[in-house]
Amino acid sequence: MKRIEVKLSLPVVAPLLDLMKASSDVLEAQIAAPITLDDIDADFREEWRAELLAGQQEELHALMGLFNSDFFINGVVAFDEDNAEIIVRACSALRLRLRRHDLSVLEDEQLESGGVDLETLPAALQKPFMCYVFLGTIQELIIQHLDGAILRGPVGDAEPSEDYGADADDFDSDKD
Amino acid sequence: MSDRGPTIARRIEPLLAGAGTRPGLAPEEVALPQSAYAVQGPWRVVVLNDPVNSMGYVVLVFRKVFGFAEPRARRHMLEVHEQGRSVVWSGLREQAELYAFALQQWHLTAILETDEAH
Repeated sequence: MKRIEVKLSLPVVAPLLDLMKASSDVLEAQIAAPITLDDIDADFREEWRAELLAGQQEELHALMGLFNSDFFINGVVAFDEDNAEIIVRACSALRLRLRRHDLSVLEDEQLESGGVDLETLPAALQKPFMCYVFLGTIQELIIQHLDGAILRGPVGDAEPSEDYGADADDFDSDKD
Repeated sequence: MSDRGPTIARRIEPLLAGAGTRPGLAPEEVALPQSAYAVQGPWRVVVLNDPVNSMGYVVLVFRKVFGFAEPRARRHMLEVHEQGRSVVWSGLREQAELYAFALQQWHLTAILETDEAH
Protein backbone atom coordinates (compact mmCIF):
# COMPACT_ATOMS: atom_id res chain seq x y z
CA MET A 1 0.00 0.00 0.00
CA LYS A 2 1.37 3.37 -0.96
CA ARG A 3 2.07 5.52 2.07
CA ILE A 4 3.43 9.00 2.57
CA GLU A 5 5.08 9.94 5.82
CA VAL A 6 5.60 13.63 6.35
CA LYS A 7 7.81 14.89 9.13
CA LEU A 8 6.60 18.27 10.26
CA SER A 9 8.33 20.90 12.33
CA LEU A 10 6.60 20.74 15.71
CA PRO A 11 7.41 24.35 16.68
CA VAL A 12 5.76 25.52 13.45
CA VAL A 13 2.75 23.23 13.30
CA ALA A 14 1.79 22.81 16.95
CA PRO A 15 0.68 26.44 17.35
CA LEU A 16 -1.63 26.03 14.37
CA LEU A 17 -3.51 23.12 15.87
CA ASP A 18 -5.56 25.21 18.28
CA LEU A 19 -6.98 27.23 15.44
CA MET A 20 -7.57 24.09 13.38
CA LYS A 21 -9.41 22.54 16.31
CA ALA A 22 -11.51 25.65 16.92
CA SER A 23 -12.45 25.86 13.25
CA SER A 24 -13.17 22.16 13.19
CA ASP A 25 -15.48 22.53 16.19
CA VAL A 26 -17.48 25.22 14.41
CA LEU A 27 -17.82 22.95 11.40
CA GLU A 28 -19.45 20.30 13.56
CA ALA A 29 -22.66 22.24 13.02
CA GLN A 30 -22.05 24.20 9.86
CA ILE A 31 -21.36 23.21 6.27
CA ALA A 32 -18.11 24.77 5.13
CA ALA A 33 -18.96 25.60 1.53
CA PRO A 34 -21.41 28.41 0.74
CA ILE A 35 -24.00 26.14 -0.81
CA THR A 36 -27.64 26.90 -1.43
CA LEU A 37 -30.21 24.17 -1.65
CA ASP A 38 -32.93 26.29 -3.22
CA ASP A 39 -33.38 23.91 -6.12
CA ILE A 40 -33.77 20.88 -3.88
CA ASP A 41 -37.21 19.74 -2.79
CA ALA A 42 -38.04 21.37 0.52
CA ASP A 43 -38.73 18.07 2.26
CA PHE A 44 -35.39 16.76 1.03
CA ARG A 45 -33.19 19.66 2.11
CA GLU A 46 -32.75 18.70 5.73
CA GLU A 47 -31.73 15.15 4.84
CA TRP A 48 -29.34 16.55 2.25
CA ARG A 49 -27.80 19.01 4.69
CA ALA A 50 -27.57 16.43 7.47
CA GLU A 51 -25.71 13.98 5.26
CA LEU A 52 -23.27 16.62 4.06
CA LEU A 53 -22.66 17.64 7.64
CA ALA A 54 -22.15 14.06 8.84
CA GLY A 55 -19.59 13.48 6.10
CA GLN A 56 -17.80 16.69 6.95
CA GLN A 57 -17.67 15.76 10.63
CA GLU A 58 -16.13 12.40 9.78
CA GLU A 59 -13.50 14.10 7.62
CA LEU A 60 -12.54 16.59 10.30
CA HIS A 61 -12.28 13.91 12.98
CA ALA A 62 -9.92 11.98 10.71
CA LEU A 63 -7.78 15.06 10.09
CA MET A 64 -7.55 16.11 13.73
CA GLY A 65 -6.85 12.47 14.65
CA LEU A 66 -3.55 12.72 12.78
CA PHE A 67 -2.27 15.10 15.42
CA ASN A 68 -2.39 12.67 18.31
CA SER A 69 0.10 11.98 21.07
CA ASP A 70 2.42 10.15 18.64
CA PHE A 71 2.58 13.25 16.50
CA PHE A 72 3.86 15.27 19.44
CA ILE A 73 6.62 12.70 19.95
CA ASN A 74 7.92 12.29 16.42
CA GLY A 75 6.25 15.06 14.40
CA VAL A 76 5.18 12.61 11.72
CA VAL A 77 1.82 12.36 10.01
CA ALA A 78 1.06 9.56 7.56
CA PHE A 79 -1.23 9.44 4.57
CA ASP A 80 -2.18 6.31 2.70
CA GLU A 81 -4.84 4.87 0.44
CA ASP A 82 -7.27 4.60 3.33
CA ASN A 83 -7.19 8.18 4.53
CA ALA A 84 -6.08 10.17 1.48
CA GLU A 85 -9.54 11.11 0.27
CA ILE A 86 -11.00 11.97 3.63
CA ILE A 87 -8.00 14.11 4.62
CA VAL A 88 -7.99 16.02 1.34
CA ARG A 89 -11.65 16.81 1.85
CA ALA A 90 -11.15 17.82 5.46
CA CYS A 91 -8.42 20.23 4.42
CA SER A 92 -10.80 21.78 1.92
CA ALA A 93 -13.51 22.24 4.56
CA LEU A 94 -11.12 23.88 7.00
CA ARG A 95 -9.60 26.15 4.35
CA LEU A 96 -13.09 27.31 3.36
CA ARG A 97 -13.87 28.08 6.98
CA LEU A 98 -10.59 29.95 7.49
CA ARG A 99 -11.12 31.96 4.34
CA ARG A 100 -14.69 32.97 5.19
CA HIS A 101 -14.15 33.64 8.87
CA ASP A 102 -10.52 34.42 9.67
CA LEU A 103 -9.18 35.67 6.35
CA SER A 104 -12.25 37.46 5.03
CA VAL A 105 -10.39 40.77 4.72
CA LEU A 106 -8.10 39.35 2.07
CA GLU A 107 -9.03 39.67 -1.58
CA ASP A 108 -9.84 36.57 -3.60
CA GLU A 109 -7.11 37.52 -6.06
CA GLN A 110 -4.53 37.61 -3.29
CA LEU A 111 -5.37 34.10 -2.17
CA GLU A 112 -5.69 32.65 -5.66
CA SER A 113 -2.40 34.11 -6.85
CA GLY A 114 -0.55 33.25 -3.66
CA GLY A 115 0.52 36.87 -3.53
CA VAL A 116 0.31 37.25 0.22
CA ASP A 117 3.44 38.14 2.16
CA LEU A 118 3.22 36.66 5.64
CA GLU A 119 5.57 39.30 7.04
CA THR A 120 3.33 42.17 6.01
CA LEU A 121 0.10 40.62 7.26
CA PRO A 122 -1.41 41.99 10.48
CA ALA A 123 -0.51 39.76 13.42
CA ALA A 124 -4.09 38.54 13.81
CA LEU A 125 -4.06 37.16 10.28
CA GLN A 126 -0.69 35.45 10.37
CA LYS A 127 -1.71 32.27 12.15
CA PRO A 128 -4.90 31.74 10.09
CA PHE A 129 -2.92 32.33 6.93
CA MET A 130 -0.20 29.88 7.97
CA CYS A 131 -2.90 27.37 8.76
CA TYR A 132 -4.51 27.97 5.37
CA VAL A 133 -1.20 27.41 3.59
CA PHE A 134 -0.34 24.38 5.73
CA LEU A 135 -3.62 22.67 4.87
CA GLY A 136 -3.14 23.50 1.21
CA THR A 137 0.31 21.94 1.32
CA ILE A 138 -1.08 18.74 2.80
CA GLN A 139 -3.64 18.64 0.00
CA GLU A 140 -0.98 19.14 -2.64
CA LEU A 141 1.19 16.38 -1.21
CA ILE A 142 -1.67 13.92 -1.14
CA ILE A 143 -2.90 14.82 -4.61
CA GLN A 144 0.63 14.57 -5.98
CA HIS A 145 1.33 11.15 -4.50
CA LEU A 146 -2.00 9.48 -3.80
CA ASP A 147 -4.35 10.76 -6.49
CA GLY A 148 -4.44 7.28 -8.01
CA ALA A 149 -5.67 5.83 -4.74
CA ILE A 150 -8.37 8.49 -4.49
CA LEU A 151 -9.53 7.89 -8.05
CA ARG A 152 -9.62 4.13 -7.53
CA GLY A 153 -11.52 4.43 -4.26
CA PRO A 154 -10.99 2.50 -1.06
CA VAL A 155 -9.10 -0.79 -1.14
CA GLY A 156 -11.42 -3.60 -2.21
CA ASP A 157 -13.29 -1.55 -4.80
CA ALA A 158 -13.29 -2.43 -8.47
CA GLU A 159 -9.92 -2.67 -10.19
CA PRO A 160 -8.85 0.57 -11.84
CA SER A 161 -9.17 0.70 -15.59
CA GLU A 162 -6.43 3.27 -15.89
CA ASP A 163 -2.96 3.43 -14.39
CA TYR A 164 -2.84 6.49 -12.20
CA GLY A 165 0.15 5.28 -10.16
CA ALA A 166 3.03 7.52 -9.19
CA ASP A 167 6.58 6.30 -8.74
CA ALA A 168 7.28 7.24 -5.16
CA ASP A 169 6.37 4.54 -2.68
CA ASP A 170 7.59 6.48 0.26
CA PHE A 171 8.12 10.14 0.82
CA ASP A 172 9.73 12.04 3.60
CA SER A 173 9.51 15.75 3.79
CA ASP A 174 10.99 18.02 6.37
CA LYS A 175 9.26 21.34 6.66
CA ASP A 176 10.97 24.17 8.43
CA MET B 1 -39.80 12.95 5.31
CA SER B 2 -38.34 12.17 1.94
CA ASP B 3 -39.62 9.25 -0.10
CA ARG B 4 -36.33 8.97 -1.95
CA GLY B 5 -35.35 5.73 -0.31
CA PRO B 6 -31.82 5.02 0.90
CA THR B 7 -29.52 7.77 2.02
CA ILE B 8 -28.11 10.07 -0.59
CA ALA B 9 -24.56 8.91 -0.07
CA ARG B 10 -25.52 5.27 -0.53
CA ARG B 11 -27.30 6.10 -3.75
CA ILE B 12 -24.23 7.88 -5.05
CA GLU B 13 -21.93 4.87 -4.65
CA PRO B 14 -23.00 3.03 -7.81
CA LEU B 15 -22.99 6.30 -9.68
CA LEU B 16 -19.37 6.94 -8.76
CA ALA B 17 -18.38 3.33 -9.30
CA GLY B 18 -19.70 3.58 -12.81
CA ALA B 19 -17.79 6.77 -13.45
CA GLY B 20 -14.56 5.45 -11.99
CA THR B 21 -14.46 2.16 -13.83
CA ARG B 22 -15.61 3.35 -17.22
CA PRO B 23 -13.53 6.42 -18.03
CA GLY B 24 -14.21 6.06 -21.72
CA LEU B 25 -17.91 6.55 -21.19
CA ALA B 26 -18.27 9.90 -19.53
CA PRO B 27 -21.59 10.73 -17.90
CA GLU B 28 -22.62 13.30 -20.48
CA GLU B 29 -22.45 10.66 -23.17
CA VAL B 30 -24.97 8.33 -21.59
CA ALA B 31 -28.16 8.32 -23.61
CA LEU B 32 -31.22 9.28 -21.61
CA PRO B 33 -34.81 8.58 -22.53
CA GLN B 34 -36.30 11.44 -24.50
CA SER B 35 -39.66 10.96 -22.83
CA ALA B 36 -38.14 11.76 -19.45
CA TYR B 37 -36.68 14.99 -20.82
CA ALA B 38 -40.04 15.87 -22.22
CA VAL B 39 -41.61 15.54 -18.80
CA GLN B 40 -38.89 16.97 -16.60
CA GLY B 41 -36.60 18.96 -18.91
CA PRO B 42 -32.84 18.79 -18.58
CA TRP B 43 -31.22 19.83 -15.31
CA ARG B 44 -27.74 21.26 -15.31
CA VAL B 45 -25.13 20.72 -12.63
CA VAL B 46 -23.09 23.91 -12.44
CA VAL B 47 -19.89 24.39 -10.46
CA LEU B 48 -19.15 27.93 -9.35
CA ASN B 49 -15.71 29.37 -8.78
CA ASP B 50 -14.30 29.68 -5.30
CA PRO B 51 -10.96 31.20 -4.35
CA VAL B 52 -10.07 28.40 -1.94
CA ASN B 53 -9.98 25.06 -3.68
CA SER B 54 -6.87 24.67 -5.82
CA MET B 55 -6.91 23.86 -9.50
CA GLY B 56 -5.39 20.45 -8.83
CA TYR B 57 -8.06 19.69 -6.26
CA VAL B 58 -10.90 20.67 -8.60
CA VAL B 59 -9.46 18.54 -11.42
CA LEU B 60 -9.21 15.60 -9.03
CA VAL B 61 -12.83 16.04 -7.95
CA PHE B 62 -14.11 16.17 -11.52
CA ARG B 63 -12.16 13.02 -12.38
CA LYS B 64 -13.41 11.26 -9.28
CA VAL B 65 -17.07 12.25 -9.45
CA PHE B 66 -17.64 12.08 -13.21
CA GLY B 67 -14.85 9.79 -14.36
CA PHE B 68 -13.64 12.50 -16.73
CA ALA B 69 -10.27 11.99 -18.39
CA GLU B 70 -7.76 14.55 -17.18
CA PRO B 71 -7.94 16.90 -20.22
CA ARG B 72 -11.69 17.15 -19.91
CA ALA B 73 -11.54 17.67 -16.15
CA ARG B 74 -8.93 20.36 -16.67
CA ARG B 75 -11.07 22.07 -19.31
CA HIS B 76 -14.01 22.31 -16.93
CA MET B 77 -11.73 23.48 -14.12
CA LEU B 78 -10.35 26.28 -16.30
CA GLU B 79 -13.88 27.26 -17.28
CA VAL B 80 -14.78 27.56 -13.61
CA HIS B 81 -11.62 29.52 -12.91
CA GLU B 82 -11.84 31.90 -15.85
CA GLN B 83 -15.58 32.27 -16.37
CA GLY B 84 -16.74 31.73 -12.82
CA ARG B 85 -18.83 28.68 -13.64
CA SER B 86 -18.95 25.51 -15.69
CA VAL B 87 -21.82 23.23 -16.62
CA VAL B 88 -20.35 19.85 -15.79
CA TRP B 89 -23.34 17.65 -16.44
CA SER B 90 -26.92 17.85 -17.67
CA GLY B 91 -29.71 15.34 -17.69
CA LEU B 92 -32.48 14.00 -15.52
CA ARG B 93 -33.17 15.78 -12.29
CA GLU B 94 -32.60 12.90 -9.90
CA GLN B 95 -29.19 12.09 -11.30
CA ALA B 96 -28.29 15.76 -11.42
CA GLU B 97 -29.10 15.96 -7.72
CA LEU B 98 -26.82 13.04 -7.00
CA TYR B 99 -23.94 14.65 -8.87
CA ALA B 100 -24.52 17.98 -7.14
CA PHE B 101 -24.53 16.21 -3.80
CA ALA B 102 -21.30 14.37 -4.64
CA LEU B 103 -19.62 17.65 -5.61
CA GLN B 104 -20.82 19.30 -2.41
CA GLN B 105 -19.38 16.40 -0.43
CA TRP B 106 -16.05 17.54 -1.86
CA HIS B 107 -16.87 21.10 -0.74
CA LEU B 108 -17.28 22.51 -4.22
CA THR B 109 -19.99 25.09 -4.77
CA ALA B 110 -22.32 23.14 -7.02
CA ILE B 111 -25.82 24.25 -7.95
CA LEU B 112 -28.64 22.90 -10.07
CA GLU B 113 -30.27 24.83 -12.87
CA THR B 114 -33.13 24.28 -15.27
CA ASP B 115 -34.25 26.25 -18.27
CA GLU B 116 -37.12 27.49 -16.14
CA ALA B 117 -34.63 29.46 -14.05
CA HIS B 118 -33.77 31.68 -17.04
